[in-house]
Amino acid sequence: MSISVEIKDIVQEYPKPDGKGVTRVCDKISLAFDEPGINMLLGPSGCGKSTILRMMGGVRPIGVPTPTSGTVLIDGKPCDGAHDDAAMVFQRYSNRPDLTVRENVAFPFRMKLWKKKVPKAESEKRITDILAAVGLADKHDLLPAQLSGGQNQRVALARALVLRPRILLMDEPFSALDAQIRQEMQALLVKLYEMQPCLIVFVTHDVTEALTLGDRVITLSTQPARVADDFRITEPRPRSAIWARSTEAVKMEERILNILHAANPGRGELTVTV
Amino acid sequence: MSDDRSLWNPYTPLSPGLRRGLGIGSVLLVLGIWAVAAALALVGPNKLPAPWKVAEAFVYLAWDAENQRSLLLTATMWSVGRILSAFVLTLLIGIPIGVIMGASPRINAVLSPLIDPFRSAPVVALLPIMVMWFGIGESMKVVFLFIGAVVYLIPMVRDAMQAVPQSHWIAARDLGATPWESVRLAVLPMAMPRIADGVIVATSVMWTYITVAEYVNAREGLGQLIQNARRFSAMDQVFAGIIVIIALALITYQLMQMIKRKLFPWETQQ
Repeated sequence: MSISVEIKDIVQEYPKPDGKGVTRVCDKISLAFDEPGINMLLGPSGCGKSTILRMMGGVRPIGVPTPTSGTVLIDGKPCDGAHDDAAMVFQRYSNRPDLTVRENVAFPFRMKLWKKKVPKAESEKRITDILAAVGLADKHDLLPAQLSGGQNQRVALARALVLRPRILLMDEPFSALDAQIRQEMQALLVKLYEMQPCLIVFVTHDVTEALTLGDRVITLSTQPARVADDFRITEPRPRSAIWARSTEAVKMEERILNILHAANPGRGELTVTV
Repeated sequence: MSDDRSLWNPYTPLSPGLRRGLGIGSVLLVLGIWAVAAALALVGPNKLPAPWKVAEAFVYLAWDAENQRSLLLTATMWSVGRILSAFVLTLLIGIPIGVIMGASPRINAVLSPLIDPFRSAPVVALLPIMVMWFGIGESMKVVFLFIGAVVYLIPMVRDAMQAVPQSHWIAARDLGATPWESVRLAVLPMAMPRIADGVIVATSVMWTYITVAEYVNAREGLGQLIQNARRFSAMDQVFAGIIVIIALALITYQLMQMIKRKLFPWETQQ
């Protein structure tokens, strides 16, 4: 599978609440992704990571021109609106509370776009397969209220992956979960990625999560966000707890923390989970 | 005293038994005061009939053995029939308009100045106009009920749509829905419980307007029954009629609440 996503000189400004002047959230950010892989976008909360993710997804709900300047290219073509190459998973999963697990995963196939693209038999098979892959086959007829937070996020993940997206955009998807559930979900994501490799851009403020999952870790500074660091991790996944304590991993962690401290002393919160 | 038992704790859980007991108690107390006032003739019987007189009137209205008929049943059937017709009309027209207003700020900006003011306008004052337009027959009554209810329903449906968090609309857009599909598949289903609340309120409004609708040239109906009794100064029958309307409105309300809970069991669990 080939895929290329390039963002060039992205600047994003929002008007200040008092109407005087603007706040620059992203300052000339350029990034290129040209192969399947898990790319971690790391930075303190509110640094503009989600804004960048949204631009790649194409859906721009905010009443402000997005981006202020710069371009997003997908396979070399400018992307200026919703497109069907990308699916998104948010921290707040938005499963329909009135639909069962299976119906929620089948939800996109109620839309004209996917009805036309994927024949019924094919979509039914995909739904069954992905439900098994995320471990919800036996819970297919439960309602979201009967599931835990982690299970709900599995539904949201399945609902995105059932579309076989070439780009999967994840906006702090596991940060509301308990530490143990978060680790389970990280392991699940690695498994799903091996089954169905695609270009994943994963926004997080958790250094440990970035090191556990990423093929590449991009660190952003805050307000305005700039690319402060960008490196690759070659250690194969799943990465063990032993690797997490290795000199290599600890050095990476220190490197990230140092860069962030230098870029914005005393600002933003960044977490390290053990 | 523990906070649990403090009178001024809005979060105290009340056992169903206690709640029912207090409710029945307060109704009985008022009935008692009413009975005493009537028995001691503190208020003239032509102003306040005794509760037992009202009960007698109720029995008579429910079954008039002499003429082998139930005035109450006939009147109720007519009133319920009118409300049902207006209900169907209100739903068919009110919900789609409220939905598109809630889904589009532009459509809302166009329609809300035409609809919202009527929420606080005395719809009763429109009655003469309705009579001019629709005559004094059945259609006038149904249209009057419809107007009275729909001006409440439409803004409530609109508000229900607007109360759905934007994240649902965005999530559907991200998955490939068109903007209208996002409204239909993500926002509308989330708004349904609150839309149902609007339908329940609109129905209650119709029960309050039914008597007004039936004041004008009605041959049948609960409003007419009350109006007729008043003409003959049968205050006991007036009271009985009012109590029947209140009871029917309460039953409708409870029934609709029950249906709502059945339809949207997930609402309270969000």
